[in-house]
Amino acid sequence: MRARIQDGGRARRPSRLRRRAIAGALIFLVATGLGTSPVIAAGETPGACVVEKVEALEFGGRHGGEALALLEETAARGVDEGAEEKFKSFEKKLQSCLDAPNPIIPEVTEIIWGGIAFVVLLALMQWKLFPAVKRGMDRRAEKIRDDLDAAETARTEALEVKAGYEAELADARAEAGRIIDAARSDAEGVRVDLIARAEAEAAELRQRADQDVEAAKRQALSDMQSEVSAIVIGAAETVIGRNLDHDTQVELIESYIDDVGSRN
Amino acid sequence: MSIFALDFPAVTHLFEWPDIAFSDTYLALNKTSLIYLAGMILTVVTFGLAARKRALVPSGVQHVAEGGINFVEQNIVMQTIGSDGRRFMPFLTSLFFFIFFINIFEVIPFIQFPGNSRMAVPLLLALVVWVIYNYIGIRSQGLGGYLKNSLFPPGVPKALYLIVAPIELFSTFLIRPLSLAIRLWANMMAGHLLLVTFAVLSAALWGFGYVPGLLPFFMLVLLTAFEIFVSALQAFIFTILTAVYIGGSLHPEH
Repeated sequence: MRARIQDGGRARRPSRLRRRAIAGALIFLVATGLGTSPVIAAGETPGACVVEKVEALEFGGRHGGEALALLEETAARGVDEGAEEKFKSFEKKLQSCLDAPNPIIPEVTEIIWGGIAFVVLLALMQWKLFPAVKRGMDRRAEKIRDDLDAAETARTEALEVKAGYEAELADARAEAGRIIDAARSDAEGVRVDLIARAEAEAAELRQRADQDVEAAKRQALSDMQSEVSAIVIGAAETVIGRNLDHDTQVELIESYIDDVGSRN
Repeated sequence: MSIFALDFPAVTHLFEWPDIAFSDTYLALNKTSLIYLAGMILTVVTFGLAARKRALVPSGVQHVAEGGINFVEQNIVMQTIGSDGRRFMPFLTSLFFFIFFINIFEVIPFIQFPGNSRMAVPLLLALVVWVIYNYIGIRSQGLGGYLKNSLFPPGVPKALYLIVAPIELFSTFLIRPLSLAIRLWANMMAGHLLLVTFAVLSAALWGFGYVPGLLPFFMLVLLTAFEIFVSALQAFIFTILTAVYIGGSLHPEH
């Protein structure tokens, strides 16, 4: 568990497959070891065959090794023809333990059993088992093909829907852009209009102010001219001691003022 | 050591098994015959369970059967005969699994005997194959056409037919079945001899200490693994050659 946590949740223990493989290999090793006995691995041994033949021997009321010793001794003496024959026959039997038929020649009984096994197998496979398994495989292949087709159709439909949504989205974006552009254009129009109006108002105000200033100036000048002329006439009367007729006075003063105004 | 010499079985005694039942009759049953029956039963059980299971995602025995069918179809039939060879799939699949299961008993503990190290089934199957490819050849090309195409292959200079025709006659009608049978039988026999040799050697040398005993034992383990490979390989070779012969009978132009 700690290893798992340290490894960010990833299991570091041997996987189930690996554990099975190790167990399988161990079983295989032990079984091979157990099977190393030549008695298990091989067929009948010559030693066992000889022992079997000797144990089966009967001669002179004796059995096994004792019978063999007695038979050999009797045959060697050469007095009993029957014993000699029996000894030769026994030697042949022992020889047969070492002899065996040519392995390339098949045993008839094995051919029969092999034939029965193969014919039964072929019949079952041909008519029952193979078609059943193959049918299952074909059905699965068909189902997978159908599922793939359905998935492809669903994918195409989804792509079409997506394309529709994207087109709608693009339209909406274009519409939004258009609205924004229109709003921007309207705002610009309003701005230009406001500025123009403001400028016109300002110009009007300025003009009106100028006119007021001009009028005030003119009024001031006129007032000042009258007052100055009165003051000057008074002063001149005082200075020259006589009265000037009114028209002369005015002419004199205005020429003076004009002179002063031209100098300014 | 003399006892050891006697305990080491004579070569032919490694393959001769005493009768278990029905002795002295044509149905005498011995270890080899039982292995043949077991090969049949294992194939039937494998395909029977696979046919019953029918899971969408195959596993276990269903995977073995379906994998075997796919293997025979894609790597044997389509490579040698073509799509019209699919009708031979049940026969070729049976052949492959039957031979493989009989072979694999070579490494099954306590049985440890490949049934095909006896000549009966290899020869029988080779004869069945011989009958089938000749029958297919005669049926698809006619007797005359089949003989002509078999003995006088097109594209060979006519003068060479004097040599080629007898060679083809022997090759197609005599050597093919014999080579099929002998190849399978001899490979399995040699494998069994190797395993027995190292098994006996391991058992005998164990008494002299761990090191002398372990060396042949590790060799035995390696050879056991190798024999698993050989079992499958020989089943494949027998089946693909059968398909090649059937394909040759169906399509002589190839």
